[in-house]
Amino acid sequence: MIDWGLAVKICVFGLSAVFASLALLIGAIYAFEKILQIIEKRLN
Amino acid sequence: MLDIAFTTGVMHLTVGNGLMWLIAFFFIYLAIRKNYEPLLLIPIGFGILIVNLPLTFLMEQGRGLLWRFYHYGLEWEVIPPLIFLGLGALTDFGPMIANPKTLILGAGAQFGVYIAFFGALILGFNVQEACSIGIIGGADGPTTIYTTVRLSPHLLGATAIAAYSYMSLVPIIQPPIMRLLTTEKERKIVMKQLRPVSKREKILFPLVTVVVICLIVPAAAPLMAMFMLGNLFKECGVVRRLSDAAANELMNIVTIFLGVSVGATMSAEHFLKLQVICVFVMGIVAFAFSTAAGILLAKFMNFFSTEKINPLIGSAGVSAVPMAARVSQLMGSKANPKNFLLMHAMGPNVAGVIGTVVAAGVFIALAG
Repeated sequence: MIDWGLAVKICVFGLSAVFASLALLIGAIYAFEKILQIIEKRLN
Repeated sequence: MLDIAFTTGVMHLTVGNGLMWLIAFFFIYLAIRKNYEPLLLIPIGFGILIVNLPLTFLMEQGRGLLWRFYHYGLEWEVIPPLIFLGLGALTDFGPMIANPKTLILGAGAQFGVYIAFFGALILGFNVQEACSIGIIGGADGPTTIYTTVRLSPHLLGATAIAAYSYMSLVPIIQPPIMRLLTTEKERKIVMKQLRPVSKREKILFPLVTVVVICLIVPAAAPLMAMFMLGNLFKECGVVRRLSDAAANELMNIVTIFLGVSVGATMSAEHFLKLQVICVFVMGIVAFAFSTAAGILLAKFMNFFSTEKINPLIGSAGVSAVPMAARVSQLMGSKANPKNFLLMHAMGPNVAGVIGTVVAAGVFIALAG
């Protein structure tokens, strides 16, 4: 007997986790790009 | 006299053994003659051959040599993370950092994983088996092996062979789907040159990524941590010896044990089943849908983006590094000889590896 509830939970949580983690990484990349630019400007 | 004869393997040979030998020879032929994933197919083929020699007891629990490789290497979850350490030391995240939007394409290509997951459930596999089959769509061998060992070890041979076979067949599987889902005009889109990425950004990336991913999906930590450690070795520039060891010697050594251990799980009584054919069918379904989802997501992103993305790079989100990126480059340059998509495609390509590890982590956390 297939546990369809668990299957749907895995699918929804899985796709959410994939998109959320990669979206967070995009945010982090943009953020540390800006921060590094500011630091380099100040150092110059 | 007859008693002596029965102490030899000859008297215990079965038709199944013979069939598995043919499969073993076929893999070795593909590796040597066609150069399809030779680093893996030769040890896998050899593993299949020797495990199907009667009375050798190579996979006997607690005693067999190959059982020890399998038990301590795969069941103890040592080999796949070590492979990831080497992959990290070989991976350049520069193109992805230069154009972070391409990370989304790596996520989009995971849709195929879930389509194959539901397909496997409909075919009668249980949830754990369906997870192991679905992850084939991520086109990432070590992740497939890691997930299968955790959730349904009896399917290890089938899922590993399906993943590596389809990865080597990417140049055959992907182009028809790419042509079907894109117009000539879209394939001609030229993407602007990527900005240079500083060393600081490249060093920060593995540190930030390991924290973000492991906080969201802790079950992905063994693979992700090793992946990012390997990348930090490469990018920091002060541990060249460790980086070289991870990318070369260590990677080569664990590849031998990985291949032989996977091959050793493919004895006739475990492999010659209808279930295995279903695994291969669902594997190709996963690959096809992952390719299609990446392309369609790239087209969707073009509705909102001022800088157009060539949808051909979406298919590289299936991982299969760097083969899938090369296919994008080839298709793009066919449509427009001035088009150089390789570096653009490397973004979704390496993002796909991260996406697949996250998907595997969720499978293990919820179904394990």
